[in-house]
Amino acid sequence: MTDPHKTIVVTGVGVVSPYGIGLDRLQTGMLSGKCCLERTKDDVYPGFEGMTAKIRELPPLAEDLNARYSRTDQLAVMATQDAIANSDNSTFRESGIVMASTLGGLTEIDAGIAKDPAAWYRRPGGLLRAASYPFGHVADAVGEHFKICGPRCGISVACASGAVAIGLAANMLLEGAAPMMLAGGSDPLCPFTLSGFSALRALDPDPCTPFDQNRKGLNLGEGAAVLVLETLAAAEARDAKVLAVLHGWGITNDAFHPTAPQEEGSGLADCIGISMEMAKVSGDDIGYVNAHGTGTPLNDRAEANAYESAFRGRKRPIPVSSTKSYFGHCLGAAGALEAAITIMAIRSGALLPTLRLTNPIDSPGVEWLRGEVRRQPLPLAMSASSGFGGTNTVLIFGSGRA
Amino acid sequence: MTSSLPPVAITGIGSVSPYGPLAGTIPQNPIEPATLTNWKGNGERRAFLVPAFRAAEVVPGLKTRRLDRLSVWALVASSLALRDAGIDLNQVDRSRVAVVFATAFGCVELTEAFYLSAAANGWSGTDPITFPETLASAPASHVSMFHGLRGPNITVSNKYFAGESAMMQAAIMLRQRQADVGIVLAGDAVSRSMYSWYEEAGLLSQACYNSDPASEAEGFIPGEGVAALVMEPSEHIHARPDRRSYAVINSGRWAAGGQGAKIIREMLGGSVPSLTICSGNGAPCATSSTSALVREIGGDNPVILPQAFAQGLAGTGALFHLIAALSNRPVSGQAIFLATARDNGFAALLLELP
Repeated sequence: MTDPHKTIVVTGVGVVSPYGIGLDRLQTGMLSGKCCLERTKDDVYPGFEGMTAKIRELPPLAEDLNARYSRTDQLAVMATQDAIANSDNSTFRESGIVMASTLGGLTEIDAGIAKDPAAWYRRPGGLLRAASYPFGHVADAVGEHFKICGPRCGISVACASGAVAIGLAANMLLEGAAPMMLAGGSDPLCPFTLSGFSALRALDPDPCTPFDQNRKGLNLGEGAAVLVLETLAAAEARDAKVLAVLHGWGITNDAFHPTAPQEEGSGLADCIGISMEMAKVSGDDIGYVNAHGTGTPLNDRAEANAYESAFRGRKRPIPVSSTKSYFGHCLGAAGALEAAITIMAIRSGALLPTLRLTNPIDSPGVEWLRGEVRRQPLPLAMSASSGFGGTNTVLIFGSGRA
Repeated sequence: MTSSLPPVAITGIGSVSPYGPLAGTIPQNPIEPATLTNWKGNGERRAFLVPAFRAAEVVPGLKTRRLDRLSVWALVASSLALRDAGIDLNQVDRSRVAVVFATAFGCVELTEAFYLSAAANGWSGTDPITFPETLASAPASHVSMFHGLRGPNITVSNKYFAGESAMMQAAIMLRQRQADVGIVLAGDAVSRSMYSWYEEAGLLSQACYNSDPASEAEGFIPGEGVAALVMEPSEHIHARPDRRSYAVINSGRWAAGGQGAKIIREMLGGSVPSLTICSGNGAPCATSSTSALVREIGGDNPVILPQAFAQGLAGTGALFHLIAALSNRPVSGQAIFLATARDNGFAALLLELP
């Protein structure tokens, strides 16, 4: 018998993506096969030419808030607004917040700050803009905007940040740290990261092709996603609609290299094992994996190896796709956005293919989803995230009530 | 945190601070701020700075080339804490060791360096080596890599309670049996842009510019360093009677607002702590709103005030305040480790001191 006090459920999902605000717009766009990656030139910074997925229509916050909030903060606030609205939730002010970002307020700062910081701060709004720099500011921005008084925690664990935030929030619910948690991640496009990944030669100049043998790298996108998490007991007590159950989660580290994954994907495979053990499920029970799938040569090979290892003994190959092929890699938001997409897949019974995947990595234990959207019942699905510094996070979601 | 889960013991301490690299507790002698010498500017500026040291002399085999100071300090502090705890990692399942790092500003020195490369060469000419090391999570990643730790590895931040929230995240992972050992680290490095921000915002003490002690009335002096704690479930300690426990964490809560006093009273279950250890963010217990809460909760029992050198570490000074208190605690028994914020936020950990 499942203990409703120890069962974590999702009662709200908020999304801001290049498709617009809301899970519905994301779902409509992705199911139609629309790719949001666009070729830009001199857009994010002079001299950059390549693919990005940008949020074109972002309604402004009140003027005073724009002055205090970075674009990262704004995306997080909007995703939270969406999550609260669709969770039919009037009790969120006691919630805890775990909000992830790799960028924080770097969007508000330019290179001039390093040459003469004092002069930079004396520019109009300089002090205020720089105040949003710490990545922990995003959790505070959300908390202050909605006057939420529970525990707040900022998270930065490279590209797994958004998924880590969800796992830690679930931990906090199990410990009774708050009656409800708002957890997710936010990261916008920014010269800092685009320049950095470009310098690392990690960007595909064309739309990325995750898990293809001819993959050349990643594209960057922007967005935010926030889940409303609570125990099943709490959700039932307020008669909330349960969108999904978070059955298991795990966090591991490769302890291998600052930027490269362990070649065999052992850290991710361990992470999958830990999360399946927590969920009390086997590899045969998982119907779909929303992969990290950046499109970089090293990540995708290691990730395929991880699936081979973790799902060894499964009766049929594990269906896997990378939805970064639709709107790029949103860094600290990616894990949260992909959690939302995984929940969307469970609820709609629609498994999204990887776009532009024509010549998949040879991996017999994996069924690379490509071509048409696959329609099938999906009781259990997994979202996998990894990042620089060797971090891995896996979330296992299930449909309906536990 | 609920009380139905096993309590967590602090079994090792390590630090890199203005006192230098140390295993175990820190000295009680007050320390003077040092003069900043590596930035051009008008007049003298002072901060509580970590003195230069050779990391490989403290931790044999440690290679720190290309790492920023924060990562080096995290590596050294974690090594010293493990040494202090008497943990031989060869005898431990390293996939069951978690690393939780708290930082307000992350790798701000390398972020400045990356910006400087952009200023000099344009965004198309930035340094690829520096970029990954600008991530706030880089120090924690280096700790996992150096020690071969494959358990959870996270980096957290919180405006007022970064250190406390890191301790609680680690305690939760231990209580939930997601790890057997937790290494909690917290710290920041003083950088030019950070110092200038405090300066322009008018937050600094006049003692930053003047060595006259009488000038310390308002503001704070920036500080730097990394503190590390090794945390283990108490039941592990009971099985190894030779192991020292500095303190046992029985429960903890933090929030951005609300009814702190009520929640802390619930944590205490009607008892009065024999000691209150104040953390703080530039607001000493004796002069802030914390004092009323301290009196309400602790009565006339002893109070340990925050350490001056760690006051300027934003939200990450908490571990230093705790280590300093554990270095010279006047009593044993139940203690509350307490911090408050201007907006009624609080963090409180209920400790049992042996």
